[in-house]
Amino acid sequence: MSFSDVCRKVRSGDPLSLADGLALYQHPNLLEVGTLANEARERLHGDRTYFNRNLHINPTNVCVAACRLCSFSRRDARAAGAFVLTVEQAVDKLRARLAGGDRVTEVHIVGGLHDGLPFEYFTDLVWRLKAVEPGISIKAFSAVEIFFFHRLYHLSIEEILRRLQAAGLDSLPGGGAEIFSPRVRTAICPNKCGADEWLDVHRTAHRLGIKSNCTMLFGTVETLTERVEHLLRLRELQDETGGLLAFIPLPFHPENNALGDRPAPSAAEALRTCAVARLMLHNVPHIKAYWVSLGLATAQTALWFGADDFDGTVSEERIYHQAGAHSPQALAPEAIARIVREAGRVPVERDTLYGRFSPAAKQEAI
Amino acid sequence: MPRLRLTAVSFLNARPIVYGIERGLALANNRFDLRFDLPSRCAAAIASGDADLALMPLGSFADAPDEFRIVPGIAIASRGPVRTVMLMGDVPWEEMDTILLDEASRTSHVLVRLLTRERGLAPSYERAEHDRIADLVGGRRGALMIGDLCFSASARFRHVYDLGAEWTARVGLPFVYAAWIGRPGAVSPGDVALLQESLALGLAHRDEIARDWAGENGVDVGICERYFHDNIHYEFGAGELCGATAFLERARAAGLSTQKPVIRFFANEARSRTAAAAAPRSLDGVLADAAAGVRLSFDDGVRLHDSASLHDLGLAADARRRSLHPHGVVTYIIDRNVNYTNACTTACQFCNFYRPPGDSRVYTLSRAELAQKLQETVDMGGIQVLLQGGINPQLGLDYYEDLFRWMKANFSIAIHGLSPEEIRYLAERENLTIRAVLERLMAAGLDSVPGGAAEILDDEIRRRISPRKCSVATWLDVMRQAHSLGLRSTATMVFGFGEKSHHIVGHFDKLRALEDETAGFTAFICWSFQAEGTRLPLRDDTTATRYLRTLALARLYLDNFPNVQVSWVTMGPAIGQIGLRFGGNDFGSAMIEENVVAQAGAVFKLSSSDIEGYVRAAGFTPRRRNMRYEWL
Repeated sequence: MSFSDVCRKVRSGDPLSLADGLALYQHPNLLEVGTLANEARERLHGDRTYFNRNLHINPTNVCVAACRLCSFSRRDARAAGAFVLTVEQAVDKLRARLAGGDRVTEVHIVGGLHDGLPFEYFTDLVWRLKAVEPGISIKAFSAVEIFFFHRLYHLSIEEILRRLQAAGLDSLPGGGAEIFSPRVRTAICPNKCGADEWLDVHRTAHRLGIKSNCTMLFGTVETLTERVEHLLRLRELQDETGGLLAFIPLPFHPENNALGDRPAPSAAEALRTCAVARLMLHNVPHIKAYWVSLGLATAQTALWFGADDFDGTVSEERIYHQAGAHSPQALAPEAIARIVREAGRVPVERDTLYGRFSPAAKQEAI
Repeated sequence: MPRLRLTAVSFLNARPIVYGIERGLALANNRFDLRFDLPSRCAAAIASGDADLALMPLGSFADAPDEFRIVPGIAIASRGPVRTVMLMGDVPWEEMDTILLDEASRTSHVLVRLLTRERGLAPSYERAEHDRIADLVGGRRGALMIGDLCFSASARFRHVYDLGAEWTARVGLPFVYAAWIGRPGAVSPGDVALLQESLALGLAHRDEIARDWAGENGVDVGICERYFHDNIHYEFGAGELCGATAFLERARAAGLSTQKPVIRFFANEARSRTAAAAAPRSLDGVLADAAAGVRLSFDDGVRLHDSASLHDLGLAADARRRSLHPHGVVTYIIDRNVNYTNACTTACQFCNFYRPPGDSRVYTLSRAELAQKLQETVDMGGIQVLLQGGINPQLGLDYYEDLFRWMKANFSIAIHGLSPEEIRYLAERENLTIRAVLERLMAAGLDSVPGGAAEILDDEIRRRISPRKCSVATWLDVMRQAHSLGLRSTATMVFGFGEKSHHIVGHFDKLRALEDETAGFTAFICWSFQAEGTRLPLRDDTTATRYLRTLALARLYLDNFPNVQVSWVTMGPAIGQIGLRFGGNDFGSAMIEENVVAQAGAVFKLSSSDIEGYVRAAGFTPRRRNMRYEWL
């Protein structure tokens, strides 16, 4: 499959094949792949670049999964550095942000697989956060956590999701997908749910009207074929349900984890993966340049390599920073808007579901 | 005025250079007497005073005066296969026990000996007559052949090595076969302009020259045309200057020549090529021209700066980078940035490194501290120190002379030292000319000049951010003088001070004009203002995408600069890596130490294996180099 064949398919709107994806990965000129992805991005979104005001809460780092790729988790609740936030502590984090005048519109919650907490802890967490500010959107629990709840509390996936939804859950984050290939999952996260389970959680959520994001963790032991196959499985799900909002490429960070003997994927690799994802996932509306993981400079550049979303203001990110990320832990909305403008794009503040938009405030003249 | 006596080699490749002199360049007819001869006799004619100027190889100066000058802008050179300097034989190079040397050329003898030696081989060498040499090859006896003979002989032998290609593949630089050479003062700037005009006419008539030559010598006309278009080129730019210097230095180190590896040009009228006035074009047309190496006008530069997209700039710069550096090699150097003092009277707004004299935090490194840093550098494979400091009124020219002599006596290390501002200050302090300061520093061991203190080459902006630093004219003059003395330098730009597109393009334009004049800049490096801890608030865009756009525009506008460095030290390794797709062909330095931008918040550190990793991950092959971008 030649690059020019792929260009033709992209321009005529045909879905790309596994061979096309590999051709994009193997094409020697990164800029040409980026240019093509940028065409696709501009067809969908023009110069608009989305972001939101969000707050990350990690309720616990205690986790039975013990994934080799992770620097965040503690296996045992009594281990040094292990923590479980009380619901009150979590709610205080949101209150503190709001009291500071920050108009947060989304709380993003992911945490470890803690087997000593009652399910009510999680439903309470969602309900109490929602009670603080009813308009706030709760994006909580990756598919891996939902599947863990299903096993631990002996409730069906649907029932878990229904109860969380009733408590106020609005959407699911896209984490835990890693790479769908069983070979890779065995190597890097053997105790996490498998690809079919991950996809099934999202399928069920979409059926219940819960939208979700999706991710791919690249740069561990996977092959290029395994990456492209991963993207294809996400695309199939999207064809089926239409419930995916955004795809987020996540480069592996090697510090403080059991896979640390390998280098992090380079910026060139990250930008290419962003571009390939934009081109393969023609049916997923948004590609997110998650600045926490990519670093600000690469994330800004990614806005020309297929990405149309800069994620949010975040505040207090812990998972990637434990793995050696050097990005700041929070960005003011003005800072995001400025970085986006300096990239030659137009910043647009959005809500979680990309339903409401407001142009970012103009910078003060300098 | 007496007529100048010129002597030139009689090969095909010399014809375009003398074309205008031979045909109708009316003034030239009265100014020059032209004779043709073998290369070895050209050298003898200069030595004996029988000729004023000879078109001849640079390396055949056994008989020539110590001091010589070269006519700027004119060379017979190749950036790869040359087709007329070839080693041939029935057996591979490694199996040749004797190499016959064509008597017609001495520089190629040095070249084949050097390349043979660098392959670890030691055959014996014998001289042979040009007309008989092809018939003497056989068995383990190979031959170096030169000139048109190669066209016919290369089909006769199983093993054929093109020495132009071999040189460039090994060193990464062009090879210069011949140039106009004479004693200092032999020709005036007016003569230089005439000689350049003669070549320009010849280049415009290359196909006619090829046809005539083919007819007269019974050679296939297609071969002659391809030779002119694909093999030989006639510029003597910065790359050729580095290649010629590298050759002389390697030959001298190998004991094959006693020629001093310092190349200096005859005085030159500013012969800045300006961009042809073009009909109004689309942005795409400007980009396509720039990618093809067509000179950009100032207005087109501003247009690209303001209107071209990130990708379009990147793709054009990448195409231009590829044609200048077609081997997919990205170079880097191992050196150490030694900031010998932080005392500085300049008090630039944007600097967080300096301390005013008298401040308790002022330092000047002692010899013991320097010795330790230099030894560490050598131990880590470093070949150079980048020596820069503040403007410290305690330190006079004798301090630097002593320091350089001491460094050279005790360490095998190149001194890339003292920015134009430091050199200007020494001239003022010692009441000497800039030239005299440079000559004394060179005599003490200075090897090359870093391109710092340029910031934005615009006096209005300089007055605002660094009012006590040298003016644009002085900065350029220090570089001009340094280049004319045979020193190479780099050039830099720091953006993010609120400058406009015409300031950026103006900066490029000044550098490009000086490079036309001197060919002395080896590389351009830019980065964004690092504001932390300085007195100058950051009010400008200094983000990654602006850096990448600026880098790409630099690659396109600075068409005569052979190399563009990415600045991972300030922009971070990730963007440094991406910069390799936006015109950069060099990853800078595996810096063992850096103090100035580190004080202002840029604290990236990379080892040589880190650098090689970034370069490979971007799809390039890393190579170590020295300051003139010669592969090591």
